[in-house]
Amino acid sequence: MLPVDRWVETVERAVTDGFDFFDFLSVVDEGEGRLSVVVHLWSLRGRGHLFLRTEADGLQVPSLAGVLPGAGWHEREAAEMFGLEFLGAPDPRPLLLPDGFDGHPLRKDFPLAARGVVEWPGAHEPTEHGPASRPPGRRRPAAAGVPDWAGQTEEDGTHG
Amino acid sequence: MAEPPPRSRGAIALREENCTVCMICVRECPDWCITIDGHAEHVPPEEGSAPNRRPRSTTVLDRFAIDFSLCMYCGICIETCPFDALFWATDYAYDAPGPRELIAEKGRLVDWLDGVLVPEPLDPGAEIAPEPARRRGRA
Amino acid sequence: MQEEESGSIDSPGGPAARQLSLDDGRTVALYNVPLPGDDRDRAGVESPHLESPHPELSLFNVGLACCALEVAAAVERPAATAASGMGRPVLRVQPYAAGPGTADVLVVSGTVTDAMAPAVRALYDRLAEPRLVVSYGACSNSGGPYWDSYAVCKGVDQIVPVDVYVPGCPPRPEALLEALRSLPHRRPR
Repeated sequence: MLPVDRWVETVERAVTDGFDFFDFLSVVDEGEGRLSVVVHLWSLRGRGHLFLRTEADGLQVPSLAGVLPGAGWHEREAAEMFGLEFLGAPDPRPLLLPDGFDGHPLRKDFPLAARGVVEWPGAHEPTEHGPASRPPGRRRPAAAGVPDWAGQTEEDGTHG
Repeated sequence: MAEPPPRSRGAIALREENCTVCMICVRECPDWCITIDGHAEHVPPEEGSAPNRRPRSTTVLDRFAIDFSLCMYCGICIETCPFDALFWATDYAYDAPGPRELIAEKGRLVDWLDGVLVPEPLDPGAEIAPEPARRRGRA
Repeated sequence: MQEEESGSIDSPGGPAARQLSLDDGRTVALYNVPLPGDDRDRAGVESPHLESPHPELSLFNVGLACCALEVAAAVERPAATAASGMGRPVLRVQPYAAGPGTADVLVVSGTVTDAMAPAVRALYDRLAEPRLVVSYGACSNSGGPYWDSYAVCKGVDQIVPVDVYVPGCPPRPEALLEALRSLPHRRPR
C-alpha cells in the first residue's frame, strides 16, 4: 500500500520504468469507510505486470489522468460507483450511471433492494410450521447482502 | 438435430427418493430460485428393536420447485447436494408463454431424470477425482 | 421515435447503420443488416401454426449480451437440419432484418439494462404487426443472474409484451428454433 501523497509520483516512476501499458484502475471497498485504489500496469517489453495500491484519504485521491490519460475513464467510473473524488481529474462528469442516481452502487453498504423485497427461500425450515415448534436458541440461517431494513418478519419476534 | 452431449446444462432433474429436505441447495443458490417444503413424519419402530428405543422421525419432501426463468444454470445446487438428488438433464425445449410456467414443480423435475445421460468415460490416464469426504480426511 | 438510414452498404465505413432516435434525445445505431451477396442457406423452422405471407421468418435480434452468440449459432445452420420430413412447411429464418419494421419477430437476447430499456421499447414500437417477441435467456426473462442488480431491468416483459420465454443461461441454439416453431399460436393479443 503506497502512501497517498506519493501515489502519482510512484505510478509515474513505474510508467517511465517500462510499465507503460495501462490495463485498469479500480477501487476496493475495504470496509469501515476505507477505500483503496488499485492500478494494474503491464510492461510489454519486459513481459511483466505490476499492481499498485493506495488508500484514499477519506474520499479523496489524486487523479492519475495526467500520467495515464486512459485512466481518466476508469476514474470517472470509480468516482460514481464508489463516491470517490479524484483530485485534479480533467473530466469529472459521471460516465455510466443515469442522471439523478442515488448512491454509490459498488460500495458494500449499498442496499440491494431486490434482496430486501424478495423473501429468501432458505429462511424456511421445512419441518417447522409456525414459531412454536422452533428449537429455542438455534441460529437462523441468513442470506448475504440483505439490507438492514429487510428480513425482519413477524415470525422472528423482532416486532414485539 | 444432434442430441446434446451428456452433462450439457439443459434442465435440472430431481431424484426424489435421494432428497432429504436438508435445504442446502436452496441456501446455496445465488439466484434464490429453488423452493422446498417438507414435513416431519414419525417412523414406526422396526420389529425386534429395543423397546426403549428413542422415537425416530424422517423428513418427507412435499414441494421442490425451480424457477427456470431465474436460474443461471451454474450447477451449484447439483454440486452441493450431499445426497446426489440433483442432476443435469439435457432437455432444452421447455420454452413457455409466461415466466410463471417456467417454474418447474417436483413432477417435471422428476420426469427430467429420463434426460440425464450417462457421462462419457474419462480420457485414458485421467486422474479420478477423490470423493469429497475422503478429501477432507474423514473417510 | 424515428428511424433513419445513414450511410449505405457500399460506404467505406462498413455496413450501413440505421440510427434510432430515442425519446430522451439519445440515438442508437443498428447494425442488424444483411451483408451484400450473402445468400447462405440458414436455419429453417417447421411451422405447424404459422401462416406467414413470407417464405421467410424474419428476425430482428436485439443482442445485448452473450446470448446473442447463441442466437447467431442457431440461425447460421442449414435449413435442412430442421426439416423432419413431417410435411410441414419449413420457413427459412432470415436473421438480419434490415430494420424492426420489416421483421416478423423481435428476439431479445441478453441483459436488458435500465439504460438500454428505452431502445428496446423503441424497437418494439417500430416492429411490424403482429409484433411477436421472443425473450431468449435468463437475463431477459427475469433479470437472471442480475436479479438483484441496481442497473438491470428485471425482465424485458416489464417493457414490452413477450410471447415466448426461452429458459437457459444461455439456452441452447436449438431452443430458439423450438420457440420460433411454437410462436404464433401462443399469441395472446
